[in-house]
Amino acid sequence: MKRSLVLSLLLLCLLVPLSTGTDEDRSSWEVDLDNGYISTKPIIVDEQVIVRTSGFWTGDDRPHVYAFDIDTGHENWRFRNNASTNHDMSPLLHIRAGDGACGTWDEMVLVGWTDGRVTALDISSGSLVWEMQTEVVSWGITGEMAVDEDSVIVPTRQGISKLCLSDGAESLRVNLPELGWRNGVTVTEENYLIGNEEGVLNIISKQGVVSNISIGEGKIRHAPVVTDSGIIIHLQTNSGSQIYLDQQLLSNEGYSPAIPLAVGQDVYLATSSNIIWLDCSSNCSVEGKSTYHTNGEITHNAFNDTIWYPHNTPDGGWGTGIPGADIASFNTQHDTYTTAGVAFGDNGEMAFGNDNGILMVLLSQNSSLVVEESEDDSIDSNSYLQQSLILLLCGAMFFFQLKKNNKMATKIGLLLLLVIMIMILPDVSNIWSKEIDSLEESPGDWDESWPEEWKETQVIVFELPDGEIALGGFAGYQNVESFTDAAASDLNITVSKESYDFGVWITSFNGESGEGWEFTIDGKRSSVGISVADVDEDSVVRWSPA
Amino acid sequence: MVLTDGVHGPALAPVELLALNAVLVTISFFLLCKPAQSAKREILVLSSITLAAAASRILLEPLPNVQPLTVMCLVMGATLGARRGMAFAVIATMLSNLVLSHGWWTLFQASGWAAAAFAGSRLGLIVDNVVQMKRLAITAVIASVLFDWWVSLSIFTSGMTISEFGIYLLNGLPFDALHAVGSLVTVVWVAPWLANLVFEETAQIEQPQVSGEADVISA
Repeated sequence: MKRSLVLSLLLLCLLVPLSTGTDEDRSSWEVDLDNGYISTKPIIVDEQVIVRTSGFWTGDDRPHVYAFDIDTGHENWRFRNNASTNHDMSPLLHIRAGDGACGTWDEMVLVGWTDGRVTALDISSGSLVWEMQTEVVSWGITGEMAVDEDSVIVPTRQGISKLCLSDGAESLRVNLPELGWRNGVTVTEENYLIGNEEGVLNIISKQGVVSNISIGEGKIRHAPVVTDSGIIIHLQTNSGSQIYLDQQLLSNEGYSPAIPLAVGQDVYLATSSNIIWLDCSSNCSVEGKSTYHTNGEITHNAFNDTIWYPHNTPDGGWGTGIPGADIASFNTQHDTYTTAGVAFGDNGEMAFGNDNGILMVLLSQNSSLVVEESEDDSIDSNSYLQQSLILLLCGAMFFFQLKKNNKMATKIGLLLLLVIMIMILPDVSNIWSKEIDSLEESPGDWDESWPEEWKETQVIVFELPDGEIALGGFAGYQNVESFTDAAASDLNITVSKESYDFGVWITSFNGESGEGWEFTIDGKRSSVGISVADVDEDSVVRWSPA
Repeated sequence: MVLTDGVHGPALAPVELLALNAVLVTISFFLLCKPAQSAKREILVLSSITLAAAASRILLEPLPNVQPLTVMCLVMGATLGARRGMAFAVIATMLSNLVLSHGWWTLFQASGWAAAAFAGSRLGLIVDNVVQMKRLAITAVIASVLFDWWVSLSIFTSGMTISEFGIYLLNGLPFDALHAVGSLVTVVWVAPWLANLVFEETAQIEQPQVSGEADVISA
C-alpha cells in the first residue's frame, strides 16, 4: 500500500503544469480579450490603454476596441463592430482636441475597419462621435492613417480619402488604379505618399493630382518613410525584399518585411532574417544589422530611447536593441506569434499584445524586469523539477541497491526509465518520424500548368473553398510553418493558429475552418507538425480541407 | 486541425455512435450476466476496480501512451476469469472515453483490451494466488505492442495502402516502446497489489471462480 502511495505521488509530480503565472505582480496586469488577434500596437493615452482585436467570428465574437484604466486594468469602455468581416490591422490613431478650418473636435480615437468604415470614438466614453464609410474592394482599410492639420488621410484599397476631424466629412477623394494592402499613408508638406501591391509609389498633391514612381517588382506594404536623403521603401518581392532610397536599390534583404520606423534620421527596418539600421542624415548608409525574426510593427520607446521588435515566431516575445548589437529578448508566459508593436507611456508604462489576444501592461520599467525574470524563473523551476525527479529516483535506486534490495531497486529503475522516456519522447519521435519519412518516396505534386520559373523553387497551394490558389518562386524557407506564413501574407490570406504543448495547428485560412486543414509536402502527408516539417528548396506544399 | 485529422479513422454520426455504444453495452451485459449466481460483493469489487481503472486512464492521459489498463486487463482476466475480465475492459474503456473522447476507435480499444483480458485468463499469469511476475512482464510487453497495432487499424481506410499503414506503424514505434515500459512499471508496482486485492475481496464468495467461467466462454 505504501508503495502504491509513493507511485501515485511520483506520478502526480509529472503532472505539474509546465509554467507558472505571474499575474499577481502588482506592477503589472493582463487581460485575455479572447476574441481574436491583437495584430497592431495598443496606444497609451493619459490614464488609458486602448487596444483593438481582429475577431474570430465564432459565435458572437466580433472585432472590438477596448479601453482600460492603465493603473487597475479596469475596463472603461469597449466598441464593437458587427460589420467587420476580416482581420482588422489598421493601427489606432489618437487625436488630441483641436480646431481647424472644417470645425472643432474633442479628443478621440480614430479606427479604420476592414469593412471600409472610419469611426471616431470619444476618448473617455468610447461613444461614436462620427463615422464615415469609405470604399471596399473585398477589404476596406488595412493601412495606417495619418493626420494632416484638421483632417485625417485614410488609405483605402484603391486610393485615399481625406476626412475632416470634426465630422468625418470627405473633402478629397483620390482613386488609384492598383490595389493596396497595409499600405499606410505618409503626409509631407505638399503631398500624400502611398504605395501599392504593384510596387508603385503614388505621390498625390494636396489638391489631388497624382504622379507616381515605379520602385520595383514587388509590394509596398507600409507608409513610405521620408528622410533628408529621400524616401525609403522596403519592397516585398517574391525572392525576399529590397530596400530602396527613392528608386536606388540599397540592399537585398530577407522575406516578409516589417513596417519600418523612422526616429529622426535613423530608420529601422526588418525581415524574417535581420533587423537593419540606416542612418539617413546624409545618404542612408547601413549602420548596423543583427539577426532577428520580426515582421510586424517596430516601435520606439522615447522614455529610454530603445527600439522594440515583435518576434513573429512560435516562441514569440519581443526583442529590443540596436541593429548591429545583441538583441535582448523580452518574454512573457503568454508568448506566441506576434506582429503588434509595443505601446509606451510617458512614465515608462508599456503595453504588449500578441496573437493570442492577450494584453499585458507593465506600469514601470522595473516591472518589465520582474516579468522577464519571472518567465525565466518559470522555465528554470520546471527544468529544476524534472532534474530533481530524476535525481530523486536515481538516489532511491542506488539506495536500495546498496541495501541489497534488488527488487525495489528494479522497480524504481523501471520508473526512472519511464520518466526519462517521457521526457525525451518529443525529440525522439520527431527524429524517428523524419527517418521514417525518408523511407517513403514522395509522389510529387508538380502541376504542368504552373510557370517554368517556379521549377526548383518552393511552391505552395491553398485549396480554398472558392478556388485553388498557387504561388511559387519562394526560396529559403526551412519548414512548413514559416513558408505558409510568408505565402499567406503575400496572397492576403489570413491564417488562424492555435498553439499547444505538442505544436502549432492551423485552424483556418481566411476564416474557413471547415473540418480542419491538412498539408502534404510533394504529395506526401507529413507525420510531423507544421513547425518541424522540413521543406526542401523545390518542395510543393499543398493545404487542403480535411 | 492538421495533426489529428484522419488519425483516428472515420468520424461517426450520432446514430452510428449510438449503435457502437449499444454494441459495447450489450457485450458487457452478456459477459456479466453469467454465471448468474454471482455474489453482490463480487459485482461491487468489479465495479470499484473498473471505476478506478477508468479514472487512472484519465489521470494519466497527459503522459503519452502510458496505459496501465493493459496490465490491469491481464490481471483482471487472470483473477476473475475471461468473462469478468473482458467486461471490465469494455466498461473501463467506455467510461474513460466519455472524458477522453469517444468514437470509432473506442471499438478497437475495447476489443483490444478485452483480448488482453482473455489472454490473461488463459496464460497462467497467476498460479495459486501468486502472480508469475516474469511471465506477466513478458505478456504485458507483447500485449502493449499488439494492442497499439490493433488500435492503429482504426485509421485504416479504403484509400490507404498496406505500405502506408506500415509506415504509420513504424512512426508509432517510440510510442509503442513507451507503452511497453509503462506496462512494465505497472506490472512491478501495481499488478501484485491488484491481484491480492481481488483475491482478498472475493475470497469469501461461495461459488466457483475462474475455472467455471473459463468453461462457459469455451462452451
